[in-house]
Amino acid sequence: MNALRWWWGLVLAFALLVVMRVFLPLPFANEVVIFSIYTIGCNFLLGRVGFISFGQPAYLAVGAYAAGFYFTYFGANPYIGIVIGIVVGFIVALIVGPFFVRLRSDYFALVNLALAVIIYFLMQKVLAPITNGDNGLWYLTNLEPTPVLDLTHPSQFFIFALLVGFATWAFYKYLDDSIYGACCLGAKINEDKLTFLGYDNFRIRLTAFVIANTTTALAGALYAVYLGFVSPEITSPTRAVDPVVVTILGGVGTLYGPIVGAIAYTGMKDVLSQILVNWELMIGFLLVFIMLAGEKGIWGTLEPRLKKLFFRKAASETAGGSKARTA
Amino acid sequence: MIDLSLLPSGIIFGLSLGGIFFLTTVGLSLCFGLMRVISLDQMLYYALGGYMTYTISVLTGNLWFGLVVGVVVGAVAGLAVERVVFLRIYARDITFSMITSFGVLIGGVGVIKYFWGLVPRPVTEPITVQVNLLGTYIPVYRLIIIAIALGVYGGIWLFLNRTIVGKAIRAGIENVEHVEGLGINVYRLFSITFMIAGGLSALAGGLNAPLIMVDPQMGLEVMAFAFMIVIIGGLGSIKGTLVSSFLVGQVVSLGSLFYAPLAQMAPFAIMVLILLLKPTGLYGSPLLKR
Repeated sequence: MNALRWWWGLVLAFALLVVMRVFLPLPFANEVVIFSIYTIGCNFLLGRVGFISFGQPAYLAVGAYAAGFYFTYFGANPYIGIVIGIVVGFIVALIVGPFFVRLRSDYFALVNLALAVIIYFLMQKVLAPITNGDNGLWYLTNLEPTPVLDLTHPSQFFIFALLVGFATWAFYKYLDDSIYGACCLGAKINEDKLTFLGYDNFRIRLTAFVIANTTTALAGALYAVYLGFVSPEITSPTRAVDPVVVTILGGVGTLYGPIVGAIAYTGMKDVLSQILVNWELMIGFLLVFIMLAGEKGIWGTLEPRLKKLFFRKAASETAGGSKARTA
Repeated sequence: MIDLSLLPSGIIFGLSLGGIFFLTTVGLSLCFGLMRVISLDQMLYYALGGYMTYTISVLTGNLWFGLVVGVVVGAVAGLAVERVVFLRIYARDITFSMITSFGVLIGGVGVIKYFWGLVPRPVTEPITVQVNLLGTYIPVYRLIIIAIALGVYGGIWLFLNRTIVGKAIRAGIENVEHVEGLGINVYRLFSITFMIAGGLSALAGGLNAPLIMVDPQMGLEVMAFAFMIVIIGGLGSIKGTLVSSFLVGQVVSLGSLFYAPLAQMAPFAIMVLILLLKPTGLYGSPLLKR
């Protein structure tokens, strides 16, 4: 019974994504799933640990380029490419993490954005002989079909991305419920008390940083397989805000915020970019509006109401349960 | 490997670049020092200054007049944004201001695209005279930029140390509550600081316009350098901003003499190095959000 309650939210969320796949075009569904995996790392950092990272595109690019290099120069198996993307993302996060997590939150944000810009220049200019500069790496025809789930086929790729997404969400839900998740929240709210309780602040933050950015690298590798090319465009400064916007749009620190935000953002982008040419104007004012109006975001506003709607009878029990968990 | 005859012009180029950087980032630093907000929208006023200079210099043929208009527009835009947006977020967390001002910046880039289009526009250089300095010819315009940057630094120093408003701002950087207790309206100080910051950023954009082409992304392009400069110098320190601006300017200029891509990478390496030695930057204060 307890296990069922733990899983049902996840199952429901991904069942809705499957339903969405039936009604909406496939590229949209794929984009939403990858984008929400991309965003959950940023959401975790911002909502749980209190780090705002404008540099997520840097880690996305690390994962994407690691997979891209493998496809162009070494092999053709999409699964191995994704694994390589994750491993390289993990290593990079482990290298830069110790330097970055020591910093104050404002410096952290600035340094991360600077890293994103540096990787952009690195891929566009410095490593141009092997990355083809602005043109990027194209290897779509190189990818070899795989036996069970053929990732070169968009509709089967969607199933794979959905499974990966489900696993990612289960992992983050587990993290949120664990003592470690509570420690992260403690590091966000009051690090002195956390130190007093005997936890190592630095290690908690470093672990969170590595976990979040490895997830982002995974999203990068998925992009690399799905799109069939990698270009420096994915880490350009204008796209640096994307994950932050989606995080805030969906609801900071909520589990399903990234999915809701990704659907809303991708949908708006598709619909509005046909009507309005001026995408930046829209997203800029939307961001300011969300920040000033209510920072809870879409899911953060919806969640309590939905809970009230469905659990009117069990309200007292769940309130008691959630209070016990957060305490 | 390196042509020594290029060195003097390289140094002058770096100094003028540093001057532009200083004017762009001093606003960011001032706003952080007094109000504890990270005002990324300074990059918008930078682009706005460039575009106003372009428009007015095309209309009247006089760049200096365009520069003045740009500074006024930048200051007014800064004031408007402060009144509408920042007034509501002073009490919030510092990262909050960063996200919001980034929204203002992106939205502003959209506005610029709407009015001026996507195409980069060239601005004619007002002074094409070159002077002979140690055997190489140096454009006078770059020397003027260096002089203006140093003049602005001197002006800010005088303003902060010799005028009553400046002293109030300096006191506010130390402790806002005490200044408020003296019966000074700190919100007026905040507005004044924002106007100064916006005007200076616009001045930087206007001065830089003839050297690069003005395009809607120019604010975003300079942003990475602005970040590195405030981090190296330490957020909130005017002196630190001046030192690190010229440092980064030299690194970019001389670095590109050795190996062109180095110009983009070397400032980042320096930033990481300085953060390792001193996590608050060269002149940064250890104090956190009030």
